Amino acid sequence: MSEFFAMGGYGKYLWPAFVLGFGIVVLNLVLALNSLAAARKDARRRMEMSQ
Amino acid sequence: MATWTWFHRLASPPHVYAFARRWTPWFGAFAAVAMVVALYGGLVLAPPDYQQKDAFRMVYVHAPTAWLSLMIYTTMAVAAGVGLIWRMKVAHAAAAACAPIGAWFTVAALGTGMLWGKPMWGAYWVWDPRLTAELVLLFLYFGYMGLRAGIEDPAKADKASAVLAVVGVINVPIIKFSVEWWNSLHQTPTVMQMGKPKMDGDMLWPLLLMFVGFALYFVTVLLIRLRAELLRRERNASWIREVVA
Amino acid sequence: MKATALVAARLVAMRDLRLAFRKPSQIIQPLMFFMIVATLFPLTLTPEMSRLRDAAPGVLWIGALLSSLLALEFLFRDDAVDGTLEQFALSGQSLTWMLFAKTCTHWLLTGLPLALSAPIAAAALGVSAEAMPGVVASLALGSFAMSLVGAIGAGLTLGARRGGVLLSLLTLPLAVPILIFGARATQLAITGGDIAPPMYLLGAIAVLGVTLAPLAAAAAVRIGLE
Repeated sequence: MSEFFAMGGYGKYLWPAFVLGFGIVVLNLVLALNSLAAARKDARRRMEMSQ
Repeated sequence: MATWTWFHRLASPPHVYAFARRWTPWFGAFAAVAMVVALYGGLVLAPPDYQQKDAFRMVYVHAPTAWLSLMIYTTMAVAAGVGLIWRMKVAHAAAAACAPIGAWFTVAALGTGMLWGKPMWGAYWVWDPRLTAELVLLFLYFGYMGLRAGIEDPAKADKASAVLAVVGVINVPIIKFSVEWWNSLHQTPTVMQMGKPKMDGDMLWPLLLMFVGFALYFVTVLLIRLRAELLRRERNASWIREVVA
Repeated sequence: MKATALVAARLVAMRDLRLAFRKPSQIIQPLMFFMIVATLFPLTLTPEMSRLRDAAPGVLWIGALLSSLLALEFLFRDDAVDGTLEQFALSGQSLTWMLFAKTCTHWLLTGLPLALSAPIAAAALGVSAEAMPGVVASLALGSFAMSLVGAIGAGLTLGARRGGVLLSLLTLPLAVPILIFGARATQLAITGGDIAPPMYLLGAIAVLGVTLAPLAAAAAVRIGLE
């Protein structure tokens, strides 16, 4: 198991790279969902105000 | 004429919104599965590389992010061009939705590249053509988003940023072919080239699957952002009432 | 069709030149800026001539770039403000040709004087006399390409808030190849090498710019005027 984490000595570059890459993958999903939620909330508020 | 109906549906915000809402979960699910399987294949199953040993595994995160940064810009430029030529609001909305995603993945490509460059070349950064051009790509994304933010009138902002996106697309082939045109420290293409890929089968399939996963993921995130864009743009349209209520 | 476009272009060029001589500050300011930037570097870097000579291509080109960005604001702004640009767009003549003419006169008034006065800055950076023709040539061709590329950004930012900062942000990515090859040419001139290869590449970029930039700039201006 510790061999897996060491990755032949390259672990200290490899794991941060994966964390960075997939972190950005997750981040973009979260940001997109937040953007949609905010847009929906905004649209709902506008509908209510105009009624 | 079935083809024209399809095209008209593509231009209609409520249709696109409904399509996005229905299919996003599916794209997302397939993307997640593909990524997880590819990750297992690349980190666990694939044998170490002869030259780079285990460090080569960084290809499974670096190559897809870099490819995505280019693919997203191209998509953005095509959408912008379609918006300019056929005056389709949905196309402009799609281009706007692409930009932040593309910028983030350019950052990811540069960052993962730096982490791969340090053990392989001894330096976090070199001013070689491909890296420099990728940095320029990041500036182009920022310029695009900055221009959109700087112009008050939404229609003008759409069109002006579309011109910028189309002008900047020349950078994409420069990045792609820079390693072939110039002496570059960066590796020459091993997968996407004419003829058989130079990579070993066991190493290749996780990479291809990862590309597929990232592509599906991009569609997922794009559809989510596109829905948000359409809601913001179509302020008082009646279809929004039904969707939001 | 072509003949009237060229006539219109020539008239626009003559007009721009005449107006420029009535307001010389627009020519002198970017030039002074370049001189100041170029002389600030020795103050902040090092007084050693040999080290300055190594840094000279970078200093000269950064100075030229910044000065160019400053000058680009003047390309369309005055004409946009008083409605002349709108008249050009409505005139029925080729806006592309007219903007190309404006860009050329802009270079004659900003880029060319900068290139011609570069020897003064270069001498302050320890560059020898034999290198001067190469330095001037590389900066002249490079600044011409910069004016062309910058016209696109200038057109796009016409209606934008804080247009100046945005103009820099937009022009920078497009200017990177010009910077790279131009600085290379200047460096070869200073070290005594053959400047032909980077000059050819710079020339190719300029030709590409001549064919495409005025088109993009005209599209940008039309969008801004709507």
